[in-house]
Amino acid sequence: MAEEDSEWIIESIVGYLGSPEWVIPVTDFMEHKCTVFDDEDENKLSYTEIHQQYKKLVEKLLENYMQEVGINEQQFLDACTSPFAKSQSLQDMFQPVLATDDFQVFRSLMVQKNMELQLQALRVIKEKNGALPECLTDGVDVMTELEQQEMKILEEVLKKSKEEYDEEMSRRLLSEKKTGSTSSRSSNKPNTEDDEAREATLTSKQSNSSKRTPDSGSSSIQCRVLPALRSPTKSSKSSNASSHQTVEQSDSREAAAEAYLEEAHREAGFSKPYTELLPSEQEQLQQRAAYLRQQRDKLHALKKEQQKIRQTAALEEPPASPTPAPTANSEISAEEKKKLQKRKHLADKLKEEVIKK
Amino acid sequence: MGEAQKGLLSVIEKLKGSTEQEVRIVLLGLDNAGKTTLLKSLASEDVNTITPTQGFNIKSVASHGMKLNVWDIGGQRKIRPFWKKYLENTDLLIYVIDSADKKRFEETGLELSELIDEENLKGVPVLVFANKQDLETASPASEIAEGLNLHTYRDREWQIQACSAVSGEGVQDGMNWICNNIVNKKK
Ligand SMILES: Nc1nc2c(ncn2[C@@H]2O[C@H](COP(=O)(O)OP(=O)(O)OP(=O)(O)O)[C@@H](O)[C@H]2O)c(=O)[nH]1
Ligand SMILES: [Mg+2]
Repeated sequence: MAEEDSEWIIESIVGYLGSPEWVIPVTDFMEHKCTVFDDEDENKLSYTEIHQQYKKLVEKLLENYMQEVGINEQQFLDACTSPFAKSQSLQDMFQPVLATDDFQVFRSLMVQKNMELQLQALRVIKEKNGALPECLTDGVDVMTELEQQEMKILEEVLKKSKEEYDEEMSRRLLSEKKTGSTSSRSSNKPNTEDDEAREATLTSKQSNSSKRTPDSGSSSIQCRVLPALRSPTKSSKSSNASSHQTVEQSDSREAAAEAYLEEAHREAGFSKPYTELLPSEQEQLQQRAAYLRQQRDKLHALKKEQQKIRQTAALEEPPASPTPAPTANSEISAEEKKKLQKRKHLADKLKEEVIKK
Repeated sequence: MGEAQKGLLSVIEKLKGSTEQEVRIVLLGLDNAGKTTLLKSLASEDVNTITPTQGFNIKSVASHGMKLNVWDIGGQRKIRPFWKKYLENTDLLIYVIDSADKKRFEETGLELSELIDEENLKGVPVLVFANKQDLETASPASEIAEGLNLHTYRDREWQIQACSAVSGEGVQDGMNWICNNIVNKKK
């Protein structure tokens, strides 16, 4: 096949992988199914069933796409194996496609998604209650000052991520109306779903974590989001900007914050297949690390800003009372208290996984 | 699976852009046979903290220039019905036996013969590890082979290898057989 053919087909495929026709069903699938995926070394039997469903979904989507664009499998294959398809940004976009054939890639995508939702959930709780309820924060005093700072940065990141997420949701709704999409996602998708879905996530995650055997976690948890923050590195901003254009564009929905988390996961060897690296994969990892450093720098800038604001605020008003408990207690019903208690476990677990590691 | 799907999957495989040969190996056998211990020792990981497997483990091991993706699935009775969901596209079956657990030789033989009849394992080479040879009460591999009627297998390559997953003895010999066999098969 002629090179030019490959080129336009690749462009078309990339366009498709960034379009709502692909992004919405795939993201929906991941968000709904990721809650059982923890980062234990051992896989649950249920993962296999979910992976099968994912395969079917992607196969169906790609078949529809090829039919629509009028290319056959051979053309698709030729395009995908052409030199154009080998660029880094494209390889990244192909991850969700690769996940159909590679369980370990799939698993790491799902674990990552679950972690994101957990963190978003914490943020939603905080937003609802003005602050994290006391039962969620009373472990805070054992955190070091550094960890507290990191928690704040994380919250900031999540806030950004949430804003962008909401933006994206409304954009999706718009584009859905325009295209009259017939995708099978449930109709109660709009913004209200956000909180509910997160809550569902919380409950099911809770039941997972209670099943967790006490000694099984320590060696298998490889998620190291925060230590990365502790080692600020020199900026390498401009040099990498161009190679990541596509990534950043495609990421606009969950944007920098999410990308940062994602990259952090990967950099930490979160996805197992990367343990035995080929030269090309190593290059890939290096590029990711560079991107990650960029994100880290942004976060540090953000952190400084926050500190300035806090300092100014501290000058203007006396520190808030450290014991808001009485009022809070009288306002929260017993049932709510129970719920919150459960969430404390989650918060602890998150702390353990995200902060301590 | 329809033709179209097969085509798509092959496309996706190519997307990986990896030239390394990947081999899918499934590790089965009764509970307590030593599958996970074997898997971890293959991956040079600690074998002292292993608990009975409720789901499955996967490790990728580099060997003889190939990437062996080894799937270890729990062997408890209640998990065995799920085994067949993991057999598709399998290049090789490793069947692990606790050589000292004579009381369950019959049970393990039955499970193996059911696997051998699975459509997805048609013609797939089998390596039987007669594990726990470090125990005094272990039966020798030859005896186990006889009990399993391995010599009646005509439709595939097979091998029985005495080993101890704990000490590592015999494990490498088994892996060498695998690699020689897969190379012969796939080329
Ligand atoms: N002496 C001895 N003990 C072994 C050997 N291999 C495994 N074991 C022990 O046998 C027990 C079971 O090992 P596992 O690896 O958990 O067995 P499994 O086949 O994975 O069991 P399930 O996960 O329940 O299917 C553990 O206590 C191991 O330490 C061996 O070669 N010699
Ligand atoms: Mg096991």
